Amino acid sequence: MFESVCFYLCGGLMLLGGIMTVASRSAVASAVWLIFAFLNAAGVYALLSAPFLAILQVLVYAGAIMVLFLFVIMMLHGPVMNEDLRSRSRWFWPALALPLAAIAGSAVTLLGRARGGAFPAPAPHGFGRAEQVAALLLDRYLLAFELISIVLLVAIIGALSLGLREGRRT
Amino acid sequence: MAFALETLAKIGFMLLFMLSLLPALIWAERKGAAFIQDRTGPNRASILGIRLAGLVHPIADVLKLVFKEDVTPARAHRVLYSLAPFLVMSVALSTYAVIPFGDYLLVGGRQVPLVVADLSVGILYVLAVASLGTYGIVLGGWASRNKYTFLGAMRSSAQMISYEISMGLALMGVLLIFGSLRLTEIVAGQGALLFGLVPKWGVVVQPLGALLFITAVFAETNRTPFDLPEGDSELVSGYHLEYSSLRFALFFMAEYCNMVVGAALITTMFFGGWQVPWLPRQTLEQHGGALLTASLGLAAVVLAVAALLLMRRARRERGKFGDARDREPGLLGGVCAALALAAAAALLLRPWTIGPQAASVYATFAQVGAFIVKTLFFSWLFIWVRWTLPRFRYDQLMSLGWKIMLPLGLVNLAVTAVVMALS
Repeated sequence: MFESVCFYLCGGLMLLGGIMTVASRSAVASAVWLIFAFLNAAGVYALLSAPFLAILQVLVYAGAIMVLFLFVIMMLHGPVMNEDLRSRSRWFWPALALPLAAIAGSAVTLLGRARGGAFPAPAPHGFGRAEQVAALLLDRYLLAFELISIVLLVAIIGALSLGLREGRRT
Repeated sequence: MAFALETLAKIGFMLLFMLSLLPALIWAERKGAAFIQDRTGPNRASILGIRLAGLVHPIADVLKLVFKEDVTPARAHRVLYSLAPFLVMSVALSTYAVIPFGDYLLVGGRQVPLVVADLSVGILYVLAVASLGTYGIVLGGWASRNKYTFLGAMRSSAQMISYEISMGLALMGVLLIFGSLRLTEIVAGQGALLFGLVPKWGVVVQPLGALLFITAVFAETNRTPFDLPEGDSELVSGYHLEYSSLRFALFFMAEYCNMVVGAALITTMFFGGWQVPWLPRQTLEQHGGALLTASLGLAAVVLAVAALLLMRRARRERGKFGDARDREPGLLGGVCAALALAAAAALLLRPWTIGPQAASVYATFAQVGAFIVKTLFFSWLFIWVRWTLPRFRYDQLMSLGWKIMLPLGLVNLAVTAVVMALS
């Protein structure tokens, strides 16, 4: 019971965070709402017996990536920026409609499955621990995992070379 | 129900420990600075003549901050400006949840583990919460709409991102050796003896990792030599420049909270946590009676000597100030004498005959005491370093983080992994 309450609370707050991210008129406020949404997503993961994923969500997305986001936003606008965007982007309504459609679609699918009584069994005890994630990442999906790290390395080198070229021009 | 009560009690203990340590640390900072700079330090504030060598000053500080006007800059982002200090403080306090401050306490025949939440991903939780600590500083600095606070915020976010990586890498070696992310298991693993001689503490098996971690923790807590986000000689006082009254107090307290968290983490990961060196729990329980007798005797002797010294001072300095302050040495001497008598009287209860239950409780207290002593020592290390080293320049900070600490951390990890794989 308590867990369900927490689950729907986290889920609802995550939705609120997501909507406010899109609806906020200041870039910094958007970023803060996004962090809020990420933290609630971590809560949802934790309640779905995936503690490792939950912590990584906080550590990587809320803790590291969003700090960089904020850093860049603030760097571009400075401390005295006039950050209010007076007009909404014309993509606002499509951007709002798309996730709503996705939610409606998955709700319909899930309800259909629930009627068929085909919900998956609850996760076994000890599911989602670091050991299990590591076993999957470093054994079964080792090749994909290493390939992704190469993609990231290429991205870093690309960013560096672009940045260095910019620097030389000025 | 019992679980909820136990957890509440443990949270209460941790909060009390933390918040009561803050004024003591602020006192230690001011007195320590004074000692290192060869001056007297705070010694004026007194309650009925009792000054306690300046320990009354934090109370005066708090009163001053409470009664100051709470100013919000006219063009500040109001919501984020108010939110920032609370973020900083709550993040600083929530790290404590996973730090074990003792093994277990025997309550009614049940072993109560002395940690609020024994998470399977404990150390990652610490890193995650630490990374959230940046937001309070960044948002506070930005929301103030002031160039100096803004620069402080920028510096802090760049610094925190840079040093978090080294911090994580420095911890990897310890995690490899003790084979767990659980802080309780890491501390339990440090109870063993290496070659039957040296305690298997993290610092013994991972000296380089310990050095890197301590450095990274200093950077994460924004303490000198890494206090560029504050940089009082260049940014006035950095990210909290516009804050006044209790909001400033929250930033100020959070800095000391973070210091204690850092010290507790260094203790837990590299200096054996609550382990009493060379005295495992079994020994503590077996010889509980003898050890308790010895500790009580030692306490009685130390307190008696302190009482004698204070009494002598009271006689020598009679009428020195000509006001209430003259009573202080005599009064403190009396308190010390009373405590010494109490310790001596406790010896009459024949503590060497205590039963196994009491011996277990004694062992727990000894271990919690060991944790507190170690944490206090590393808190003092923060103060010691602050008044000894000058501040880094920004480029030095970045090159230390990325060009020295990161490669060293990688080498340390690789060497540890190879050694672990071979042995």
